[in-house]
Amino acid sequence: MTRQIAFDDRSRQQTHFSTCYMCACRCGIKVTVENDRVRFIQGNPNHPVNKGVLCAKGSAGIMKQYSAAKLTKPLMRRPGARRGAGDFVEIEWDEALDILTARLRDIRASDPTKLAFFTGRDQMQALSGMWAQQFGTPNWAAHGGFCSVNMAVAGLYTIGYSFWEFGAPDWDHAKYFLLWGVAEDHSSNPLKIGLDKLKKRGAKFVSINPVRTGYSAIADEWLPIRPGTDGLLALALIHVLLKRGAIDWEFLIRYTNAPWLVVQTPGMPGDGLFARDEKDNPLVWDHVAQVLSNGHLPDIAPALLASVELPDGRRAKTVFSLISERYLDERYAPESVAAECGVAAATITRIAHEIAHVAFNEAVELPIRWTDMHGRTHDKVIGRPVAMHAMRGISAHSNGFQTCRALHLLQMLLGALEGPGNFRARAPYPRRIPMRTLPENDPTVIFAPDTPLKRMPNGNPTRPEDLVIDKDGKPLRIDRAYSWESPLAAHGMMHMVITNAANHDPYPIDTLLLFMANMAWNSSMNTGDVREMLARTAAHGEYAIPFIVVVDAFQSETVNFADLVLPDTTYLERYDAISLLDRPISEPDAAGDSIRHPILKPDRDVRPWQDVLVELASRLKFPAFTREDGSRKFADYRDFIVNYEKLPGIGFLAGWRGKDGESHLRGAPNPKQWEKYIEHQSFFTYPWPENMRYYRFANKDYLEFAEKHALFGTPPVQVILQMYSEPLQKFRLAGQGLYDGPQPSSPTDRERLATYFDPLPFWYEPLETQGKAREAYPFHAITQRPMMMYHSWDSQNVWLRQIVAQNYLYMNRGSARKLGLADYDWVWVASRHARIRCQLKTMEGVEANTVWTWNAIGRQPGVAGLEPGAPEATAGFLLNHLISELLPKHASDERRLTNSDPVTGQAAWFDLRVSVRKCAPGETGLWPTVAPAKRLPGDDGVRPTILRWTTKRS
Amino acid sequence: MKLGLLIDLDTCVGCHACATACKEWNGSSSVSGPLSDYEPFGADPSGVWLNRVRHYEVGDYPASKTINFPMSCLHCEDADCVSVCPTGASYKRADGIVLVDQEKCMGCNLCAWACPYGARELDQATGTMKKCTLCVDRIYDVLLPPEDRQPACVLACPTHARMFGDFDDPHSEVSRVSADRGGFGLLPELGYAPVNRYLPPREPKPLPGVDDARALLERGLASLASPVIRR
Amino acid sequence: MKPALSIVFFTVASGAGLGLLALLALADLCPVPLLSPAALIRGLPLALLLIAAGLASSVLHLAKPSNAWRAFARFRTSWLSREAVLAALLFPLTFAYLAAVALDTAGMARALLSIVVCLLSWSVLFCTAMIYASLKPIRQWRTGWTPAAYLLLGHWSGALIAIAVAVGYGGEPVSWAWLAAGLGVAALLVKLGYWHHGAADRGGKSALTLEQAIGVPQGVRPPGVSVAQARLFDAGHTQRTFLTDEFVFRIARQHAQALRGAALALGFGIPLIWLATGPRHWAAAASVAVLAIVGLLAERWLFFSDARHTVRLYHGDART
Repeated sequence: MTRQIAFDDRSRQQTHFSTCYMCACRCGIKVTVENDRVRFIQGNPNHPVNKGVLCAKGSAGIMKQYSAAKLTKPLMRRPGARRGAGDFVEIEWDEALDILTARLRDIRASDPTKLAFFTGRDQMQALSGMWAQQFGTPNWAAHGGFCSVNMAVAGLYTIGYSFWEFGAPDWDHAKYFLLWGVAEDHSSNPLKIGLDKLKKRGAKFVSINPVRTGYSAIADEWLPIRPGTDGLLALALIHVLLKRGAIDWEFLIRYTNAPWLVVQTPGMPGDGLFARDEKDNPLVWDHVAQVLSNGHLPDIAPALLASVELPDGRRAKTVFSLISERYLDERYAPESVAAECGVAAATITRIAHEIAHVAFNEAVELPIRWTDMHGRTHDKVIGRPVAMHAMRGISAHSNGFQTCRALHLLQMLLGALEGPGNFRARAPYPRRIPMRTLPENDPTVIFAPDTPLKRMPNGNPTRPEDLVIDKDGKPLRIDRAYSWESPLAAHGMMHMVITNAANHDPYPIDTLLLFMANMAWNSSMNTGDVREMLARTAAHGEYAIPFIVVVDAFQSETVNFADLVLPDTTYLERYDAISLLDRPISEPDAAGDSIRHPILKPDRDVRPWQDVLVELASRLKFPAFTREDGSRKFADYRDFIVNYEKLPGIGFLAGWRGKDGESHLRGAPNPKQWEKYIEHQSFFTYPWPENMRYYRFANKDYLEFAEKHALFGTPPVQVILQMYSEPLQKFRLAGQGLYDGPQPSSPTDRERLATYFDPLPFWYEPLETQGKAREAYPFHAITQRPMMMYHSWDSQNVWLRQIVAQNYLYMNRGSARKLGLADYDWVWVASRHARIRCQLKTMEGVEANTVWTWNAIGRQPGVAGLEPGAPEATAGFLLNHLISELLPKHASDERRLTNSDPVTGQAAWFDLRVSVRKCAPGETGLWPTVAPAKRLPGDDGVRPTILRWTTKRS
Repeated sequence: MKLGLLIDLDTCVGCHACATACKEWNGSSSVSGPLSDYEPFGADPSGVWLNRVRHYEVGDYPASKTINFPMSCLHCEDADCVSVCPTGASYKRADGIVLVDQEKCMGCNLCAWACPYGARELDQATGTMKKCTLCVDRIYDVLLPPEDRQPACVLACPTHARMFGDFDDPHSEVSRVSADRGGFGLLPELGYAPVNRYLPPREPKPLPGVDDARALLERGLASLASPVIRR
Repeated sequence: MKPALSIVFFTVASGAGLGLLALLALADLCPVPLLSPAALIRGLPLALLLIAAGLASSVLHLAKPSNAWRAFARFRTSWLSREAVLAALLFPLTFAYLAAVALDTAGMARALLSIVVCLLSWSVLFCTAMIYASLKPIRQWRTGWTPAAYLLLGHWSGALIAIAVAVGYGGEPVSWAWLAAGLGVAALLVKLGYWHHGAADRGGKSALTLEQAIGVPQGVRPPGVSVAQARLFDAGHTQRTFLTDEFVFRIARQHAQALRGAALALGFGIPLIWLATGPRHWAAAASVAVLAIVGLLAERWLFFSDARHTVRLYHGDART
């Protein structure tokens, strides 16, 4: 029988294209609106990132938009109320902006460093970083310091691009794929689309991860690695490749610094630096001509293995000689590392042979003509189709930087970079190594009132002179980034801001401005203490951090600690630019950027944060925002994006530039640029011609084009991949007292530099457990986010919380049995720093010495629009309480060191070690607990018992 | 016609995109929306979902495999949920889709008992049973562009682990892929002849491993002695 | 299955009513006067009352009772529909029969009516049982033991009520006692057989496993192995759902044991022992009947809570 089906009435619907905001993918979405509400959100099939698909987070956008956690009006802490009690009064925008402007004006006019502006999960660092530079404070960063800076810095200092943001695997040609430490929540849709492609082609997918969920579930082979030992595995693979000679010699000679000569004068200045000629070119030994030669010249025949005497009598060895010596040592043999990393020696050997086979016996050749930087034309592109991707399982360890460099070394030895089937760069990368952006470190500039910084707050130091320290070696930044303790902290160290600010160390600040960062909860280590520090009072009853401003679209644990709350719009209510100047949506085969534009009008008194930033910048008369006559340059954010030029013809958006909108990548401002984007489904792609798609670090057509369009600096030069990193060696020399320039005075800092700034990758035990008995804390403890949630943003989502509303600690079933533990047992989980109580669950797919849980499921009662009895509050728990942001003090340390990677300052979340013990009978329930948050003004706390969501009128 | 879904367990990463896309589409659909959510911000949140993803582990550590398992109505050929329904609310169309007529259902739950797969959920607000409709209001909506006339879950799936089509047509993509990869129905022992097909994980292709070491070694030694490599 | 009190009550009450009705009709046909006219005229409305109360209770179970009238629509395929239609027929015919009894008519019409009423009662009881026994996903119910138990338990409880009526208003309590005892023993044996059939550790060929449910035999397993154990890792929701509420009801083992004990003691033990002593007092008879009903409520409650629907496999049970 046919019964009538009622279709949607399309005449009552409007369709808009925009960009999702749920994670860092920035997928293109098609939003159907009906009766002024969101009817349906789906992927845009034309969009380069997601090509029509959409994950659970994006598909649940409706419930994000209609979340009960939305902030509705600017708030001020009620006069007399205690900070952290969440006791607010509503105020008008004008008053809020006046308060903030006055305060910022005072700070800027006296000591700009007193403003600390840190942004969490955002997608417009190009603007906020520029704003901070214009304000004149070095105390700015996004959250990279506790997220992924190890990947970024290791990549940028080694291959000119990096895992995570600035590259992607070539899914169309890869025949073997290694996924290192990638949790469910990263790279979301592109990774998912790519894995399907690999599977359909029969490519082998190996996942190296302590947990077998998510992507690892579908891996052809799962290697349950002990957290923090991935570097050992990578170096053991290298050991086998070296032993077998399965190395792409051509690649090494043409594209890397493997043949460069390294001075060998141990104990003397200059040791370990490259031997250079009088024009500063690196020297190589031409073994045919039997002469030393400038290593940049074409057609020479550099030796890979050589030990020579330089004209001045010093000895030098090639980089590759040093590599061979180090990694052929038995220390890195599979048999030596197997017990440590938990992967059997036979498996390591087999995998090494598999990748060597695929790289060399199954090479891909594409008939593409391309020209290298010496002007030679090649008629094909050869790909050694082994691809890799890596993320937090590598990054969030205190040995993550060197581990990531080990992965890049593996790629280089295989010749598996930037070719078909490899991990390839995404515009505006590759860049030269290292990039020529240095962080502002001139104290006269930094402390100058009413003066922008000359450089950006963040950058890429290459030598001790670039550190952001005063003449006594004291850090100039509140997070102590770019100090002797964390020299290459290229993304800042957000996880140290609150601790340092509360302790007035290195100095007190006045205002902490946090955007979209839940530092009072899951985005901090040591949550309990951080919450105490945010509300800590100093000597005269004033708060240790005098003024806290929190900007967000949604209520959170951190909002409660604000003195001033500025409510932001949601992603469907705002303009945004996902810019090439920031973290773009480029693919390896096409540059790209995208926008968001308002699809809905906000139903509450909120303003887009970018507009507020432009407003503040205008009021404070930042030079870049002010005309000669003192009037403001930009009316609002829209105006700013269209008309601001970082360089002539270079703005935040690359598409449809020029007065007529006909220029791409570079051109004069186009007043109708936003309209053009909206007309084109909110994204712009610039597909690379075939000849510009591969080997871009040596691709003449690409590099010259890129330079013309400010995607590469001037002049365009080949980017030689750095197997051996000289900048590291400079810092090491400083630690050894052999550097002709600034050196650390503290013995602790000297030792750390001497040990960890090894110019070649090596593996070391994570700092957390060095010298400590492992027996006391036998388990590694890590977290991940489930695929349908991101950061702490989704417990407010009615649909998504029905999937996960509480979390458990997962343990290997065999390990649990040995401890007499069973499902749903209440357990004490203890670290050297603290302990928590939670419930256990067992599973097969977790490495036997590891426990893990979903992060950020546990919430404070009453936040995220939830009722106080929500499971997130009564049963969800954070592992963060167990992690200290400081390392234990060793006898030889003068101070407690940050629990971070000693090279980049990356927060070492996953170094956490715990013990797990069954609770006594009756010892049940969450511990510690947190008092419920107060309801915000305007929230009567009434929530529906049944929600019948529809856009149809009844 | 036997319209149904093909679900690939080899590529399902368990992201719940299909479940949420279904929830958002059908929530505002006139066929069976709205789909109630109970205690949406409260202590015991639950709701009506037409598609759910469950997760299993098969085998023992370290050789265990994790299987992500989406389940929605399998639109059985011999659907007992239709025959047990006393009011005729539950019915099977000529194109194979099994639907619940929201006007007729009295909420006796019997169809849910008859369904071995848990495909039906009672909506307390309407007192009626709800289930996957194969997005009948998308696949036949001529005002949608042709590529959009797919179930929401199929469009959303980021690993393309879902396909929609006619299993009665041996040349349809779903039929061909299912035949190629050994697609199977769930619990055929019960005799429901479920139409949806699941694809088991692919067997990985063996690669030359240690045995090829000799060839690689020779290549390595040869290339060291080989013609000079120039920059 | 979650035992819905309304359904538990419905099947026990209407079961007792239908059993009683059938026995009354049969007794009326019997040449031996097992029941006095006074007893019959009071027994019949009592039976109807029990059936009606049960049916009303079952309507309470509906989530949308305003559509209950539609339940007659699918007689062809649905046991519930059949039950509804036949129960609907039963009432007018029983009223007619009651009229015949009240008017003390004799002869073919009354005999025919009593036969029809008896057959209809059996049919309705059978349909009710078949609603459950026809459900393929529930192994415990998929057996001839199910309709056998429903019919015998209905007649057993009906017989105990009949005894009370006979003792109270006139009849042959001793014959009834023998009949009831026979029914009671038969019912008990069938119940034990049913429990044995459905036991958790039994099943053999008929129990389905989690491995079968997700396709382990069809290749859903690690490569290179032919057999592997499956376990639930995550059900896809940390709180409840309709499915967990309805099907994944778990009762603690000691409670299940206690209920079974109560069912056996109250539903069979005490009544059978009392029958052996010879039913003499109306109050005792009524009390025993009530006690037995309580025991049968426990049995029926267990009937639902013991049932392991295949959807439980998908929620982590190893076997049905």
